[in-house]
Amino acid sequence: MDPSEVEFIAEKERVSIVPNFNNATVHLISGDVGPFRAGLPVNVPVWMALNLRQRQKCRILAPDWLDVDKLEALKEEEKASKYFTKMPSEHYMVVAQLILSAVEDDIPRIEEIRMAVKNLWDVRISKLRSSVDTFIKSGGSHARLDYLTTMEINSVRPLLPHALDFIDRLNKASEGAPRRDLSQD
Amino acid sequence: MFCHGLISLDGGCQQLCHHRKIMSLCHSYVPNYFSIPDILATQEKVPCTFEVQVKHLGFLDPGSDKRDIEVGTNIELPFWMASVLKTQRPAIADVGLPKIFKESYRDILKADPVVVDLHKLAPYFYEFGMSLCMLNHRESPEIVNVLVESFKQRFRKILDWAQHSNIEVPESKKLDNAEKIIYQAGREVGSSLHLWLTEGGSLIMAAGMVMQHKKMKLTQRDLLQ
Repeated sequence: MDPSEVEFIAEKERVSIVPNFNNATVHLISGDVGPFRAGLPVNVPVWMALNLRQRQKCRILAPDWLDVDKLEALKEEEKASKYFTKMPSEHYMVVAQLILSAVEDDIPRIEEIRMAVKNLWDVRISKLRSSVDTFIKSGGSHARLDYLTTMEINSVRPLLPHALDFIDRLNKASEGAPRRDLSQD
Repeated sequence: MFCHGLISLDGGCQQLCHHRKIMSLCHSYVPNYFSIPDILATQEKVPCTFEVQVKHLGFLDPGSDKRDIEVGTNIELPFWMASVLKTQRPAIADVGLPKIFKESYRDILKADPVVVDLHKLAPYFYEFGMSLCMLNHRESPEIVNVLVESFKQRFRKILDWAQHSNIEVPESKKLDNAEKIIYQAGREVGSSLHLWLTEGGSLIMAAGMVMQHKKMKLTQRDLLQ
């Protein structure tokens, strides 16, 4: 998948916004949104929040995990743990990127938050890479991948499946099926 | 036996391979008559020792001007021919190991597979090795072992190159062709992820089929008017 396709999927995540207009409930295939009351927080999908924000119709309330201290704590936890730790959102990287690019002036310390998200991502990606390497070297056939987000899984595709495919073929060669046994025809 | 005529037809096949490589690693699950990598891999020469006399084929041996091939003659033949000679009953020729799969070369690969220039040894090193093992040579298990271990060790490097550089790494020339396909596929993903991280998402394009369908509809409408 292309990262922009993952982004599209991630836009279904919900965030809180404070609208500055009144509107009745909007009925969408994915569920109802609203009703909108000026000044009262409401939960909407990310794509709608971004659109409303672009038209100056709302203020986005950043999710509570999008905060320097919380992200630092997550990073420390990630570093300490041998396995992957649970992320606050299935699409933390995408949601953070989208919201941070939309709300330049609503959130204080935005640069620090950006750095913290990137650090967290880097720690997890390097952990993923080394675990992929150990997985291949140990010759395992299955692995448990708890708490990996879609974007992270997407980053090792199609490398990992291709490599496993190839190793499987190499191993099968030893079974030594005769290639063309003309004498049996 | 008749593989060579096919090469001129390979355009279509290669396109197919290119199209399919996106999610599944396109290769023959041998035997596949139309697989281009397979044909190229089986061009590699292997030493053969003839066990029966073959009439009128003396021209295959460049070192002699006799009309027949005598028992015990050693000739290097392409693998596709050798495998047929070997699988006849009784076998016409015995197939030995080419030097890149002999013990001395296997030891080099065992010592450090990462630095070896596989492309120089044989462009289709793994494919060739796999085909060779199908002849049930007594050292086949050993060869498969070396192939699998080499690939596992080299994979880390492919992973690193694919995810960490926007330009093609010059050392990737040392990769065998199968490894190259994996590397290229990884590199495309790596660079699109990098682009996304630095510049954000782009517009999602409609699939090629959908676009073509739209065009067809448009032209049909034009024709009607």
